[in-house]
Amino acid sequence: MDQFIEQIVTGLSIGSILLLVALGLSIIYGSMGIINLAHGEFVMLGAYAAWVFHTYFGWSLLTSLVPIFLVVAAFGWVIERYVLSLLNNRPLDTILATWGVGIMLQQAVRLMVGSELRYVQLPPALSDSMNVFGIPISSYRVFLFVVSIALFAATWLLMNRTTVGMKLRAIIQDRSVAASFGINAKRVYALTFAYGAGLAGLAGALVSPLKSVSPDMGTGYVVDAFMVVVLGGVQSLAGTVASAFILGELSGGIAFLQNDTVAKAIVLLAIVVLIRFRPEGLFTARVRA
Amino acid sequence: MPSNATTSSGLQRLIAQLAPLLIVCALVFALPLLLNNDFLLNKVARYLVLGILTVSLGLSWGFGGILNLGQAMSFGLGSYAMAMALKLKTVPVHTGASGLPDFMVWNNVAHLPWFWEPFRSLTFAIAAGLLVPALVAAALGWFMFRGRVTGVYVSIITLATMVVINLVIIDQQSYTGGFNGITDLAQLEIFGVAFDAYGRATYYLVATCVLLSLLVAFAFTKSRAGLIVQAIRDHESRVRYFGYDVALYQIFVFALSAAIAGLAGMLYTVVMEFASPTFLGVQISLSVVVWCAVGGRQSLVGAFLGAVLVAGMQGALSESAAFLETWTLVMGALFVLVVLFLPKGLAGLAQVVLRWIVQRRQASSRGVAQGVGQTEGST
Repeated sequence: MDQFIEQIVTGLSIGSILLLVALGLSIIYGSMGIINLAHGEFVMLGAYAAWVFHTYFGWSLLTSLVPIFLVVAAFGWVIERYVLSLLNNRPLDTILATWGVGIMLQQAVRLMVGSELRYVQLPPALSDSMNVFGIPISSYRVFLFVVSIALFAATWLLMNRTTVGMKLRAIIQDRSVAASFGINAKRVYALTFAYGAGLAGLAGALVSPLKSVSPDMGTGYVVDAFMVVVLGGVQSLAGTVASAFILGELSGGIAFLQNDTVAKAIVLLAIVVLIRFRPEGLFTARVRA
Repeated sequence: MPSNATTSSGLQRLIAQLAPLLIVCALVFALPLLLNNDFLLNKVARYLVLGILTVSLGLSWGFGGILNLGQAMSFGLGSYAMAMALKLKTVPVHTGASGLPDFMVWNNVAHLPWFWEPFRSLTFAIAAGLLVPALVAAALGWFMFRGRVTGVYVSIITLATMVVINLVIIDQQSYTGGFNGITDLAQLEIFGVAFDAYGRATYYLVATCVLLSLLVAFAFTKSRAGLIVQAIRDHESRVRYFGYDVALYQIFVFALSAAIAGLAGMLYTVVMEFASPTFLGVQISLSVVVWCAVGGRQSLVGAFLGAVLVAGMQGALSESAAFLETWTLVMGALFVLVVLFLPKGLAGLAQVVLRWIVQRRQASSRGVAQGVGQTEGST
């Protein structure tokens, strides 16, 4: 029984990291239709930003979260403004362009700070462990869970309860009509992309104490994050949350029964089958077009 | 009489279209005459093989509109088929007389597994190197295109499938050599000709396969089925309304592309002298997409040259210390610029330049003709 609960908690922890990484991707893909293959590099940039703030300014991870968000969002803004906005009607080409941008970011970081592994310290306040249902679990993982849910809530509010969110939804519905109502689509798109990039940066910063920071750390995350977004349904934020935790529990559970490789293969195959039969994702209602 | 005229002009057009292909192949065949260095020839052969792989992607992506992000899957399967056959032919150095591949002995496998058994025959291995990728692609294509999966989702499915196969190969170490792949191979030998990786024979084998695969791909794009595939790329639903079985054509081009990629994979094993799980990794798969985009996805020769040029430059520059670090940065930038400003790649640029030259020449000859007319009129 203890082991079972431990598995569930591990799954929740994997799921909250997946959610953190996938949330930004989901917004960018869902609202702009851009397959952002540079998303993993935004995660990596966030992790490096955490390392830089910590080693050169001595800031704790928690105090540097807001600057990290802003820094990575600025990168996102520039990339949207000068690369992606030129590819308005060529969604498949955005895959290629963002991949090119991704290699450049990776290599630029490698040139500037080297390819050695870097480490970010756990915030001292969260370095102990606490008891959850009689099972010791690190407070940091609980913190990650809370933060990922909080970021999701903030994003949902931003999309559904603010003017920018409303404008964005109007653009998604019909860009030309939205434009004729005086909505500056270019600006809203750039902001959306910047926000998604900032979220990825936060994810990277928050994950950095758990894993070593390296220039190519993003590659693994981006594939996983895609699977989450596709499973959840492109335009459904709630679906993204559900699928992140389902995938987390699934890979935790199968890894417990089998080995990691089999777990990964089974999850990937399940997603392939799912795309075939429900390309709109598990958690979206079928809508008549 | 008029029909005769149209066929002869059709023939002329065919020759004009084939010309760049034949010129490139002639250069490929002539290269050993200029380059008297077996080490360099081996390297060029490697780039030519990657060129074949890129042509195969151009076929499904540029002509079929199917962006396969797992093209290296077929490449890797072909490579392993060849490596298995050559492994069984090698003299077991580390093992007993049983002829069991060394890595199986290390992993305590007592008997050759059943699926290795047929690879004692080279003919079977070559057939498998072409057919296994084609069949896997056909099955995957049936699964996707019958369900009308399109666009980005095709890319995700192909990518995920490749990652799964890659994971399985690495995991099943005792049957596949795992992370190390299959090494210590015998030389390929066909009809008494031994293909040493650094020999001329291997280079000409690769060059012949370049010619063959370009011709097959060209013939397909000019065939009825090839035209329908291109029509599907541009207006899928319209072709469906005409009563064509859209999925069938998509499956066919997908499988044909996989078979050509499998051929490239087999050659890669011969040239590199090993097979590795990295051959069906994300890195190669995405690189192929880059080469294809840079060269021109809707031009077979363009895709081929794109691969040879970019991979060749990459190879050359990554060896010089000055560019070792910056090269990847340059490549990323080049790639972004090509996507933004040359959606048809270098081939598209070449077409624009050619058209411009032709127009200028026409304009100037027209000018001359007018001038002549005027002088005639004046006299």
